[in-house]
Amino acid sequence: MASEIDIYNQYPLYMDPSTKALSLPPSSAQTPSQAAAINTELEELNQLHRALISLDPPNIPPAPLPLNPKRSAQISKLRDSANAAHRKSNYEEAIKLYSYAIDMALSRPGWEPVGVAREELAGLYANRAQAHMALQAWPEALVDAKSSVDSKPIGNVKAWWRIAKCLAEMSRYEEARKFLHKALDIEGKESEGGKELFALLGEVDRALLRGLSA
Amino acid sequence: MFDVDWLSLAVPVAYLGILLGSLATFSSLYRKRKAHKAASLEPWFPAHLQRDIYFSLLHLEPSTTSTKEKKAPAVPDSIFKASLLRRAAEDIRRIMALRSQKQALTTLVQRGSVGDDLWQRFQRAEKEMEDEVKDVVTEANAYVPGWGQTIFQSANEMMNNDIYRKRMVDQQKKLEEERQWWSKKKTSIQEGFMKELNEGSTASTDEAKTTTTTKSFEASTTPAAGTSVQGSDDDAVLVEAETSNTPASSPNAKKKKGKGKK
Repeated sequence: MASEIDIYNQYPLYMDPSTKALSLPPSSAQTPSQAAAINTELEELNQLHRALISLDPPNIPPAPLPLNPKRSAQISKLRDSANAAHRKSNYEEAIKLYSYAIDMALSRPGWEPVGVAREELAGLYANRAQAHMALQAWPEALVDAKSSVDSKPIGNVKAWWRIAKCLAEMSRYEEARKFLHKALDIEGKESEGGKELFALLGEVDRALLRGLSA
Repeated sequence: MFDVDWLSLAVPVAYLGILLGSLATFSSLYRKRKAHKAASLEPWFPAHLQRDIYFSLLHLEPSTTSTKEKKAPAVPDSIFKASLLRRAAEDIRRIMALRSQKQALTTLVQRGSVGDDLWQRFQRAEKEMEDEVKDVVTEANAYVPGWGQTIFQSANEMMNNDIYRKRMVDQQKKLEEERQWWSKKKTSIQEGFMKELNEGSTASTDEAKTTTTTKSFEASTTPAAGTSVQGSDDDAVLVEAETSNTPASSPNAKKKKGKGKK
């Protein structure tokens, strides 16, 4: 057993002297699938390495919790300006700004807590969905609202409502009803947006009935 | 003086001897076979790629300097650190897998549904992972004192972030599909309107024919919107928005915005 920990497969890796990027010389004796796996792994490793280099010495990821406030501040600044654009009914601009903020939140370094990223992105996606809805771009809004709910299923009534609304607008009432029931299960009727969910459910049910009778 | 009957004594002695001897041979054979089996068992996990790379890197320096006479660049510490982090992330993935499998496997083994060798393989994997984690912690502490305490936390977040990002990418990938579906649906709705319109016009009077199609189209949508509460109302607005290209100007959108914002 003790010797097993020391056993490993040696790969003939090559490091570029200037960029310090690792790669696998193509002439080595791996099967194609193995080589592909190694190369994807090395790609990730190089990325991580670049991220580590940009840190302060000693170049190790800090402990997850005291969070670096710089990025959060930038993201919330972008979000605020996007919200302002939305309020001025400048929806294209709002969507653009939300997209920047989303990209920035997605590029948070991996060692920061996933909960923070989820929270942030849930809000950003939900807001972008709203801007899309204002432009009546239902598919885009639907995908964004679904992403938001996927990031944060609980306490996200608005995003649930937006999913159902988009589906209803595209006359996919069955799906809308499914989502509304799920949302009501999670959020409860007494919650903040429960009334709106319930009202939309009524509309969807009526539309379904109408479809049956017609 | 009693006379020892050697012959009759030999029988139980021989019996005992044979019994013990056969038991001993059986036990030794059995153990040998078991050990052999355990050694030849398939490992639980496939090769640990990140670990292999880490060790390959560690061994990279001396081999390149000795075989090729090129001036081999020293692998910087940061690469080792990155590689060690990747290794820790993969370790976490494996530990999670082991943990989730353990409960199911124990019940299966207790019921006798699966063979003993599966259980042995599992236990070996557990033992290996324990050693692996210890090894990573010592390595991490060797690079930066105290890193051993946080490396697995960081690796855990990295793994979770990875999973989460992948899910988001998957979600956003559906956009194209949805878009295509919706554009198809939109045209079909439009066609439906046109058909209804044509039927209506041929059935009623020739008057409808004389008006332009767009005019009668709009005229036919308004009563529909009046009678139905929601469905066709929105459809009509949508089609209208598409044909006249005036987004966000309809009162419908305004109302929605207010609702969404609360």
